[in-house]
Amino acid sequence: MVKSFVRTVLALLLVVTFCLPALAQNVMSDLSKESVISKVIERNKLRVGFSTFVPWAMKDKDGNFIGYEIDVMKELAKDLGVEIEFVPTTWSGIIPALLANKFDVIIGGMSVTTQRNLKVNFSAPYDYTGIGILASLKKGGNIKTLEDVNNPDVVVVARIGSTPAAAAKKYFPKATVRLFEKETQCVQELMTGRAAVMLASAPLPAFKAYEFPKKLFVPVKGTFTKEPIAFALRKGDPDTLNVLNNWIQIKHDSGWLKARKDYWFEGKEWESQLK
Amino acid sequence: MQQKRYKPVLLDYILLALIGGGILYFYWQLENELQYEWDWSAIPQFILRNKNGAWEPNFLLEGLLTTIRLSIWATLLACLVGVIMGLARVSQSRFARMVSRTYVEIVRNMPPIVLIFISYFFLSAQLTHFFALDTVAQEMPAWLASVVSVFFSKPSQFTQFITGVITLGLYEGAYITEIVRGGINSVQRGQWEASASLGFNRFDQLRMVVLPQALKVIIPPLAGQFISTIKDSAILSVISIQELTFQGLELMASTYLVFEVWTTITLMYLVLTLGCSMLSRWLERALAWKN
Repeated sequence: MVKSFVRTVLALLLVVTFCLPALAQNVMSDLSKESVISKVIERNKLRVGFSTFVPWAMKDKDGNFIGYEIDVMKELAKDLGVEIEFVPTTWSGIIPALLANKFDVIIGGMSVTTQRNLKVNFSAPYDYTGIGILASLKKGGNIKTLEDVNNPDVVVVARIGSTPAAAAKKYFPKATVRLFEKETQCVQELMTGRAAVMLASAPLPAFKAYEFPKKLFVPVKGTFTKEPIAFALRKGDPDTLNVLNNWIQIKHDSGWLKARKDYWFEGKEWESQLK
Repeated sequence: MQQKRYKPVLLDYILLALIGGGILYFYWQLENELQYEWDWSAIPQFILRNKNGAWEPNFLLEGLLTTIRLSIWATLLACLVGVIMGLARVSQSRFARMVSRTYVEIVRNMPPIVLIFISYFFLSAQLTHFFALDTVAQEMPAWLASVVSVFFSKPSQFTQFITGVITLGLYEGAYITEIVRGGINSVQRGQWEASASLGFNRFDQLRMVVLPQALKVIIPPLAGQFISTIKDSAILSVISIQELTFQGLELMASTYLVFEVWTTITLMYLVLTLGCSMLSRWLERALAWKN
């Protein structure tokens, strides 16, 4: 009984060993067959994950998505010759959702960070953003410099899981940091005077200060960080990464990216589409 | 028996004044302290939009419809699970009792949001893998796709929708299990014994004697459970199922009309749940008549 068992195991091992070289040959073609980009072409649909964030991606009054990222996604899908499927996702769960294969790629103004990079692969940056500061006149009227923020009495708000949230803890370790699921809630905290300062990616601080001059202001102009923005995809997929990187290079060189960025970030003619 | 017309007393007026005062104070706070700029004019277009002369639901109403579809399917699933588990709960087999007890205790003692995340990241991946739901949804013929859109969701969101239905169904199922068990236990012991003495086997005792009587106790709380399901479905917004709360949050992120959108959503939920609770009261009375 035991003898025959050992013999069977040995025989199986032998078979497996002989098959290994054959397997190695197939690895390359399997890898490229299994890559996201082949799957996208095969099913004729690119699924993109993102989160609502003015003016990166938002809903117009007809319920269609518009914004800088939406333009990028549409252009990418057009160049790949496939249809596009928008998968709006809550920001705090967007990386787990990518890993769980809910969509093929995140195109959502995601800043590259080393922590994130350990979980996902990033393409070459197609854009840069920075963190700006927005303050409430009622609660944070006395804030003139960045140093004023680093004070236990100052309540700083930011969006959960975002780079501004990480920056709040890094640059202002003494301040009281509160995190919210959406930018909306953060702005609301400033408007009601429950928080003094909000950290957010540009251009939100400037836009909101312009929109509510009686309640909000920008104490320090411009941004105090510079972060590369890139597409995020699942690990172990060199083919897709190559396609995306080169696509970004082409769009960058042709000036297309810059033109779209200027349209959404410099002007506000799109605002009438919102409400 | 004729009901007497209720005559309001002083206390009623005082309470009414206090409630009115509270609402006015809240409004005054918003207007003066926050200087909130109301913009109600933008809201109607998010409910209904006019496309080339034809009215069609825009995303708030679409969200409400998704909530309704989600709640109906989840309740149906929950009823199925609840009845099976409820019967197992009163079964003579120790194994069946233990299985159903474990299910009920686990689900009822777990925060629903945890359950939702677990099923979103694990269950839905399995579903897609084993049943190839994505491909099925993808390759549906056009007529089937439109049927699915009416009864379930857009084909592209089908997997998400099914995950939502299963999670919500399993969650509410635990409560329905207890409702069913309570209903069966409410039937007097003597009924079991009497039917046993007439030679019915266990299955026939349940089917012909106990369940018909238990049903009257079970149905009214079921309607209440449906209302709970509608309210609980709002939690599914965290896994990006595009129901009413999710659509509302997205709309707020785009337009910053925080108070207007929350008020609108509240009213939409209220219309739905109040309608259901009126229906359930009517049902209860109709059943009581038959007694």
